[in-house]
Amino acid sequence: MIVPVSRLDDDGLRASLRELSLTLSLEEARKVASMIGRDPTDTELTLFDTMWSEHCSYKSSRRVLKEHLPTEAGNVILGPGEDAGIVRFAEFDGETWAVAVAHESHNHPSQVMPVEGAATGIGGVVRDVYCMGAEVIAVLDPLRFGDPEGEHGARSLEITREVMEGIAMYGNALGVPNLGGDVVFDTCYDDNCLVNVVAVGVLREKDIVRSRVPEEAKREPYDFVLVGKPTDWSGMGGAAFASADLDHAAALDNKGSVQVADPFLKRVLVVANRAVLEFCREKGVAIGFKDLGAGGIACVSSEMADAGGFGIELDLDLAALAEPDLPDRVAACSETQERFALAVPRRISADVLRIYNETYELGSIYEGAGARVIGRVLPPKEGQPRPYRLRRGETMLVDVPVDMITEGIRYDRPSRPRERAPSPRALPLEGREVGETLRALLASAHLCSRRELYQHYDSEVQARTAMKPGNADAGLVVPVPGHSAGLALTVDGNPRLSRIDPYLGGVHAVVEAVRNLVCVGAVPAAITDCLNYGNPEQPEVFWEFEEGVRGIGDACRGIGRLEAEGEPLPVVSGNVSFYNQSSTGRAIAPSPIVSAMGIVADVGRSRSLSLKEAGHLLFRVGAFSPELGGSVLAHLLDPSWRAPVPPVDYPQLRAELRLVLEAYHQGWAHAVHDISEGGTLVAVVEMALGPYGRSRRGARLNLEPFARDHGDFIACFAEAGAFVVEVAAADAEAFEAAASRHGAPCMRLGEVVDDPTIRVEGLEQGTVVLSLSDLARAREGTMPRLLSREES
Amino acid sequence: MSRVRIGVLQFPGLNCEDETLRVLAFAGLEASLVRWNEPVSRLAEFAGYVIPGGFSYQDRVRSGCIAAKSALMEALSREVEGGKPVLGICNGAQILVESGLVPGTAPGRVDVAMARNRVPGREGYNACWVHVRAGRQAPCFFTEGLAEPFPVVIGHAEGRFLTRDRELQARLEDPSRRTLFYCTPDGEAATEYPFNPNGSPGALAGLAGLDGQALAFMPHPERAAWLWQVPEDIEGPWGRRRREAAARAGIAGHPGPGLAMIESFRRLQKVESV
Repeated sequence: MIVPVSRLDDDGLRASLRELSLTLSLEEARKVASMIGRDPTDTELTLFDTMWSEHCSYKSSRRVLKEHLPTEAGNVILGPGEDAGIVRFAEFDGETWAVAVAHESHNHPSQVMPVEGAATGIGGVVRDVYCMGAEVIAVLDPLRFGDPEGEHGARSLEITREVMEGIAMYGNALGVPNLGGDVVFDTCYDDNCLVNVVAVGVLREKDIVRSRVPEEAKREPYDFVLVGKPTDWSGMGGAAFASADLDHAAALDNKGSVQVADPFLKRVLVVANRAVLEFCREKGVAIGFKDLGAGGIACVSSEMADAGGFGIELDLDLAALAEPDLPDRVAACSETQERFALAVPRRISADVLRIYNETYELGSIYEGAGARVIGRVLPPKEGQPRPYRLRRGETMLVDVPVDMITEGIRYDRPSRPRERAPSPRALPLEGREVGETLRALLASAHLCSRRELYQHYDSEVQARTAMKPGNADAGLVVPVPGHSAGLALTVDGNPRLSRIDPYLGGVHAVVEAVRNLVCVGAVPAAITDCLNYGNPEQPEVFWEFEEGVRGIGDACRGIGRLEAEGEPLPVVSGNVSFYNQSSTGRAIAPSPIVSAMGIVADVGRSRSLSLKEAGHLLFRVGAFSPELGGSVLAHLLDPSWRAPVPPVDYPQLRAELRLVLEAYHQGWAHAVHDISEGGTLVAVVEMALGPYGRSRRGARLNLEPFARDHGDFIACFAEAGAFVVEVAAADAEAFEAAASRHGAPCMRLGEVVDDPTIRVEGLEQGTVVLSLSDLARAREGTMPRLLSREES
Repeated sequence: MSRVRIGVLQFPGLNCEDETLRVLAFAGLEASLVRWNEPVSRLAEFAGYVIPGGFSYQDRVRSGCIAAKSALMEALSREVEGGKPVLGICNGAQILVESGLVPGTAPGRVDVAMARNRVPGREGYNACWVHVRAGRQAPCFFTEGLAEPFPVVIGHAEGRFLTRDRELQARLEDPSRRTLFYCTPDGEAATEYPFNPNGSPGALAGLAGLDGQALAFMPHPERAAWLWQVPEDIEGPWGRRRREAAARAGIAGHPGPGLAMIESFRRLQKVESV
């Protein structure tokens, strides 16, 4: 069907676009027509609608990302640009192993249909890693939900439960361990939750498969193979949906845009893919392999062809469709899940189809599923445009030069700083007690134990897990079984800091993620980012975005690679999610979320965060700074209170990181935990309680130096980043000597005691003694209550 | 001396095949996958079998139910009834129960079902470390020599052994005849959450069938077969061993608490060579 763009006036064109549920602007639709030199078909318009969506084109963000983020370093094999970034991991028996990582958001679908949205979030991001030729060995899920106690508390909790269910449903059945994540509750997410997902895989460097038609297709004929679920309506317009305001009223109409997940089919598909890749390696043939995401068949085929420098020709009549009368543009562009595309030499096509269709019987796993050849690669001809032709039998649906589809568009968005004066009033601390405040903090949704949540996720499937969520600040897996080298994984991002200072919010996301890695003795290797913001067309939102990206970039350069002087910590993959706001214009707080990975030589040396032995000393490693801006304490007492957030001193931070890593190397570290949300006292209590909340070891602390200068509450609850390290008394002097050698601020906080209490000395309020069982009750009770359906 | 050959059954939707093969190799056994649509005659090659965990056939109808009705399971039943041992882990345990091999009161008769986890205030999937102990008077190929309580991992949503047969239920819960039960770190039978992680009657974690050569075991020994998998904070001797190992390099080859059960298969070697 031709859409007569050139003959329609603005109203007519607007009506046509609405009828097709397209989000292209009028100017963009007219640009399509003028670019291709004729009125487009509805399939062509749909294809450009997807390719030019913010989700696919990065049309607002690309300039900013390029300007600020370092993407190259000596350990990077593949930076941003393909489905996943790849970093060198280790060498075993002369072979180089690498890890692949992808980071995505599935925010809008999860707000509308939380179970399906969260499940397909996992389903989509793991495909990005599988299609590099890797085995997926871990997922992590940073989640942001509305305030459970607020006006929309019941709905926020319902979404929380259902997202948890979706993640568990998909990840558990697929058989990929959940190695971490975090949850933040804040009223800014009431209308727009955030469901980010990170997937990590492992592979040999020589087995990397690119998402492009290989060079060899110039010398012999190549087929285009589509495998997986038959194409249906589901997920139609998903990328455009992700790139528009989320209007609660329109949300119901958008349910068709949410994809349907099938981890069962995916699991068999994964096993079959592995056999196909193995077969191709044995035959020594080059292939292209890519997952289908936004824009479906049309996007994946144009991107694979263009990336390799080829044209391509496809016939939708050859594809498996769930219903025969599926409209052309749906068949071409729907985001039906659990599909992959391959470009393979024609001489092995039949073998590839046999593995999928006979050995693994995909058709018996899901009705209509299987692998089919649906087109052929067209080698480039000197001096001619490379064609992209998509037909359905005799009807030509798309016929344009392939680079025109993939080139995308760019916008230069205006930006304007948001006013952010500090609050003139003081925090209402008068008359409060430290003990009662600590209990309130531990019982709050912000700091309560997350165990009840993550115990719904399988964290040990694949038998590679050395440190599971809750046991330490980072998850730890053994990517190559038989070798004890480990990969540490973590996520971070604190909207309370970003709301006050969007630049330092970006900085702290990286800094705290890096601290988490070092807590288990890992050397930071790379990060990824998912940048969740409001509407970029609003200059103040765009400014927040620029500030967050600038902060991440500065932190990556400021910290750098500890084992390669002068190199930045590289950003190897990422995602931008704009339009996180409801139709009422309520945007989320700036929410840059960082995932980080690091490497340990021997997982046996990594320590959990819990206190180990009475008589050991506790050190605080890191400079103290008295800011309470963005702290959980401030949020609890006066949510709209604004004050400066803690700064970062990179040379000093690097010294701290080196000291903790040396403590591991020397065997001095018995437990390490980072000080972040909740501050120093909360960090020590978390170490005393341990992952199960039933430890019998306590601590005696002296906070006099901080309390004397800044008062009790800043001493106990200020969130200036640092580490708490447990060191045996016999090693204390050596540890302190190392600290001054590195130039790392380090002071004795107290000691571990064989008594289930926390004793805090040196406060203006006098000595405070708290029973661990009392604190455990406060910290353990909240999450089960929030997640229980009966009470809400 | 040739190694004992173990067949690992693969049904669509299972997802623990790789680590099951790996742990069998670690235990000195030779293991191969048998895919659901391969000729069932392949089973004759093996001296024993493992059905790994996962979600066979998407847990349609009931977990384990569809796979239990397959030709491969029918053939496996004949091998096991002929005396070869089979270990069903998690979904594999559910398949053994649904096939009737456990408890195996009569050929093909299904007496037990695995019900959804339920403890006061909590339902559904639970992934955590637990302690498990073998009953003293419950003959089973896989628990001989497992005298001490040991930590191991669970990850399931349906783990309560239930039967409508009251007499059988009483027998399942009989303290002296339980095959494997959840316990406190000190070895006392668990009476409540979290030590009994799923509300299984009699804290039953594993149930033997036939003369003890079939074991339906809900926890995952392969996730606790290497010392580096064990959390430092686990109470008891295994946590202590893990903490002590932190002082030295080279933890890779140290065995964990779950290995002994897998190593049971090595006894088949002696039987063969007699």
